[in-house]
Amino acid sequence: MNASSQQEKSFAILLVSPSILVLLITTTFPILYLIWSSFQNINLSMPSNDGFAGLENYIEMFNDKQYWKSFKLTIVYTVSTVSLQLLIGLGLALLVLKIPKAQWLFRLMAILPIVLAPVVVGLFWRTLMLTPDFGIVDFFTQSIGLGSYAWLSEPKLAVFSVILIHTWQWTPFAFLVLLASLASLPSDLYEAAKIDRASALKRFFYITLPLIRPAIIIIVIMRSMIALSAYAAIYAATRGGPGTATEILNLYAYRTSFLEVNFGYGSTLAVFILIVTISVAAVLYSIRRKK
Amino acid sequence: MNKKIRDYILTTLATFIMLIWILPLIWSVFVSLKSEIEVLAYPPNIFFEPTLNNFKDAISGSLSIVSELGDSFLIATITTIFTLLLSIPAAYALARLNLFGKKKLGFYVLATQMIPPMGLVIPYYLILGKFGWLDTYHGMIIVYMTFSLPFAIWLMVSFMEDIPREMEEAAFLDKASRMKTLLFIILPQVKGGIAVTTIFTFMNAWNEFLFAVQLSGNKVRPVTIAMYNFVSVEQTLWAKLCAAALIAMIPVIIIGIIGNNHIIKGLTLGAVKGGGRK
Repeated sequence: MNASSQQEKSFAILLVSPSILVLLITTTFPILYLIWSSFQNINLSMPSNDGFAGLENYIEMFNDKQYWKSFKLTIVYTVSTVSLQLLIGLGLALLVLKIPKAQWLFRLMAILPIVLAPVVVGLFWRTLMLTPDFGIVDFFTQSIGLGSYAWLSEPKLAVFSVILIHTWQWTPFAFLVLLASLASLPSDLYEAAKIDRASALKRFFYITLPLIRPAIIIIVIMRSMIALSAYAAIYAATRGGPGTATEILNLYAYRTSFLEVNFGYGSTLAVFILIVTISVAAVLYSIRRKK
Repeated sequence: MNKKIRDYILTTLATFIMLIWILPLIWSVFVSLKSEIEVLAYPPNIFFEPTLNNFKDAISGSLSIVSELGDSFLIATITTIFTLLLSIPAAYALARLNLFGKKKLGFYVLATQMIPPMGLVIPYYLILGKFGWLDTYHGMIIVYMTFSLPFAIWLMVSFMEDIPREMEEAAFLDKASRMKTLLFIILPQVKGGIAVTTIFTFMNAWNEFLFAVQLSGNKVRPVTIAMYNFVSVEQTLWAKLCAAALIAMIPVIIIGIIGNNHIIKGLTLGAVKGGGRK
């Protein structure tokens, strides 16, 4: 028995170590390198200044107005897209739950935005939907008398538009997860509640909501992670513009590193994004564990 | 209220909302069938003489995206193969075997999955540059493993946990070797899980943009950056862009429609039964 368990252990190590080794080399090493370079001056346009910078980049970050602006925008973007996805997805799931015969069709349609590349989604929206005097959204607002708008070139509206685009692409995810979760709920609970003459609203808040809580938390976790790493759709739609109106931290770190070739400071911004992501994940997972 | 009328109203409402989700896609099909001049007509025409010229231009001639399709296919396929080869045994060990520090390893895999891509693209640009691996297939495949492997392990662990334990124990009694157990008893049990993992890995690699645009672009050109063949400072070739985007998205759309149930299973995994797990 003991020999067999020893044998099992060594077999397990044999199976798991290639993956762990690959992860160490491909993810952990680059992250350590990133942290190291965040304490360096690495500027490809001024290589003569390269060298150890100490906390310079971090001090620069806290004094950088654009950093604070991008940070705030990242919070707005993440909170608003995740809550919109959750609210619209839940509403739609409750609606579609009532029409069981057509569920398959809705599930099929909902897959489409999810499978598209975010860069294609950004380009489609920029061109086909939001171009003034050309796009469908603009055509729609004009037809109902609201007029034409510079959806992507007026700063506030551009923020609204990139939130809209992200919400459009990922709400079907929340919808599908919640629909599956709602469909798996035991129906006898509702029968009992109906006999007790609990109102529909009460049934929702006291029975449905607590039961789908795990699904809601998973959605919030997964969607927050995706929102925090959002890049391609905004890049395609606005490139962070007009000016820096839609420049969330990812786009700012990108611009600093790859356009201004200041890799030291870019690394510092990326380290900050990493810290934010990990903190958000840690908080959300601890909420999940608490019941 | 009359139940029939209520159902009718609900259906109409849900259909209307759902139409919003497929409208951009449908509209892109319309635009891709128009001539570049017709495209600019406003208000947009729904009736026009369809042409396939844009699709022709997207697959032949100077703006062709065929070689990019090939690049994406190669990178996504090899990434998927390596990911499956590594993740399946690792997931089996993490889900089923007696392993020292199993929880910590599981946590490590989850943590690597959380790494934001911006945290990787910067060091990879510098590291791959030092090796001369920027703009190479192997460089891109290594980079794509960073997001596909953790996700695949996590997915496969969930599927492995669902296999009834009796299956393996019976096999051990027969003294079948452990490797044989994995290959001939466990693998057939997680066929569905392997399908889900394959679909997600391939799709994520196919759709990736940030690494593609920053770490490749000349010799190696994934299809997501080929969209920019049609977008320049001077002008955007709307109709051709739509045709190219649709061609580029055909593989994932087909996978999405055929693998519909698999994808929903992958998405909802953990969410639906998550209540029962820690």
